[in-house]
Amino acid sequence: MDFSFPEEIQLLRRSVRDYVQGRLRPLEEQIEREDRIPDEVIREMAGLGFFGFPFPEQYGGIGAGELGYCVALEELGATSSAITNLIGAHTGICAMSIYLAGSHEQKQQWLVPLAKGERIGSFGLTEPEAGSDAASIRTTAKRDGDVWILNGQKQWITNAPIAGTFVIYAANDRERGARGGITAFVVPRETPGLSVGKPDEKMGLRGSYTAPVYLDDCRVPATNVLGQVGSGFITAMTALDGGRVSLAAGAVGMAQHMLDLSVQHAKSRKQFGVPIASFQAIQWMLADMETEIQVARYMVYQVAAKIDRGERVSHEAAVIKLFASEMANRAVDKAVQIHGGQAYMKGSPIERAYRDARILRIYEGTSEVQRLLIAEHLLR
Amino acid sequence: MNIIVCVKQVQDPETPASQFRVDEAAKKVIPPPGIPPTVNQYDANAIEAAVQLKEQHGGRITVISLGKDTARDAIKQALSMGCDAGLLIDDPAFEDADAYQTANVLAAAIKSVGDYDLILCGRQASDWDQAQVPQGLAELLGIPSVTPVAGIEVTGTTLRVKRLIEDGYEVLEVPMPALLAVSNEANQPRYPTLKGIMAAARAKVDVKSAADLGVNAVGRKVQLLRLYVPKVESQIEWITGETPEEQAANLARRLREERVI
Ligand SMILES: Cc1cc2nc3c(=O)[nH]c(=O)nc-3n(C[C@H](O)[C@H](O)[C@H](O)COP(=O)(O)OP(=O)(O)OC[C@H]3O[C@@H](n4cnc5c(N)ncnc54)[C@H](O)[C@@H]3O)c2cc1C
Repeated sequence: MDFSFPEEIQLLRRSVRDYVQGRLRPLEEQIEREDRIPDEVIREMAGLGFFGFPFPEQYGGIGAGELGYCVALEELGATSSAITNLIGAHTGICAMSIYLAGSHEQKQQWLVPLAKGERIGSFGLTEPEAGSDAASIRTTAKRDGDVWILNGQKQWITNAPIAGTFVIYAANDRERGARGGITAFVVPRETPGLSVGKPDEKMGLRGSYTAPVYLDDCRVPATNVLGQVGSGFITAMTALDGGRVSLAAGAVGMAQHMLDLSVQHAKSRKQFGVPIASFQAIQWMLADMETEIQVARYMVYQVAAKIDRGERVSHEAAVIKLFASEMANRAVDKAVQIHGGQAYMKGSPIERAYRDARILRIYEGTSEVQRLLIAEHLLR
Repeated sequence: MNIIVCVKQVQDPETPASQFRVDEAAKKVIPPPGIPPTVNQYDANAIEAAVQLKEQHGGRITVISLGKDTARDAIKQALSMGCDAGLLIDDPAFEDADAYQTANVLAAAIKSVGDYDLILCGRQASDWDQAQVPQGLAELLGIPSVTPVAGIEVTGTTLRVKRLIEDGYEVLEVPMPALLAVSNEANQPRYPTLKGIMAAARAKVDVKSAADLGVNAVGRKVQLLRLYVPKVESQIEWITGETPEEQAANLARRLREERVI
């Protein structure tokens, strides 16, 4: 079996890396300080195609598939997490829901502007009373002729403050829940009855917005239902399978960046008259980081390639999401240790990553939920 | 408008000095592991200038590079930025070509491509910094050339060219076809669109040998006698004195002794 990348993916990686180093890295401090990605950068990324990695050109994307998307997110993982969050929520779960479940017409209407970055996408599943138990959502959808009326509240919805298109999951039948009771709707921002609350103050992820989304008698045309009425939970879970793999890709990129910085620091920082890299205690931390990063990286590629072959990957997605997110947390922790007090100071990229990495073990399914899924697969 | 851009792939100028090594016996630079070569930065300015002219006036851009197989990447980068076709001249006999030989083979390649209105090069390449190929090439083709160029406008069949001079620039009118050697003042090379990258990756790059072009590696004008990294030795001498004034006076005396001032 051939494990080498096609030339287009190699060139894509090189270009995204150049963009990270030349354009995004110099903005990291500004994004952190101002808690926003400059508008012109979002527009520039849209123009270059950063919002449509996996989708075919026919739907406004660049046709890089899940593998190309993961390689790009791996590279983007090395800069401000605000960028991977923006693109991840937009592409991996919002636009992907439309790509997976939408009709050709719906893709033309909703996916194309998302993939071109003309609109930012947001994925609304979580609610105040429904986190890990996503099937228990209380937002309701009631049919009224040619429209559906949505009522409820979504919580911690990434991109909501800047999104133009929402994919909202609502219960058409609360009794049936995951089994036919949940439906996915495309809800454009301008729809009356949809409103976005104040952005949340977070531990990290500065520059990425999450906010509550309120649905008050929000009337959505029946033509905006994605897939079948009642098939929404499957759509959400399938989108999340891919989302988990690309999240893992971003985690690999972040961990690699932590390792790169740690190697540099270990070679240049001298204590007791020698570089700290000459201490075995430091060397072992570096070696452990490298080992785990390599393992996670190749599994990401493997699962992404499976998605591109059209295979279901729920089990592998849970495995790699769990491993990569926890691995990245171990990597930042070691990076803090290797950098010493310097890493504890505000303004250090390690300090920022330490706060940003923590979310990886919570969203798109907590570590516990992934273990639950993995065990379920083993014991079924 | 038919434009030809000559592009060279070079060792990344951002390579840390600590990783820069030469093989003195072979008189060659040893490529540092893990740092891929890049498009010479001035050539990226030439590509950008070509793409801007194409956007304004239409036309077709052909990229030519003399180099090893890896230089395909440099051509692909040019294609991803908006160039239309690529030609790589890959010939071991030209691996260490001097400026004259390079100009000679590029001239033959350009003739093989066909009609052109404008040839753009970077003003110099960041590996050897000789800045000789562009003018040599223009001479061999018998067309006018300008270097270093900070701006290009096309009016009919003439070019209005901003040429950098000390303390400013002069504006020249040049008939086409002509060769311009572009400097970084001319523009900021664009990031290629990702769609452009995917298309460039799929595009085929023509590869020819010098023999295909009917040239051989004779006529070398430059012999490389020795290649080495100069040793920079520095010594620190503290200038003392009771007061800052006295220290300054002592410093001035020492500098005069060393005939620095
Ligand atoms: C910054 C941020 C961005 C987000 N973006 C989005 C978004 O764009 N769209 C969206 O829909 N949601 C989003 N979320 C929500 C996110 O997906 C949820 O936070 C996540 O699914 C976990 O739900 P919860 O926080 O309510 O935790 P809970 O479900 O309340 O879990 C609390 C703890 O209990 C554990 N637990 C729960 N159930 C079990 C069980 N059965 N077995 C063992 N342990 C269990 C959990 O693992 C966790 O440790 C975001 C959250 C954050 C913080």
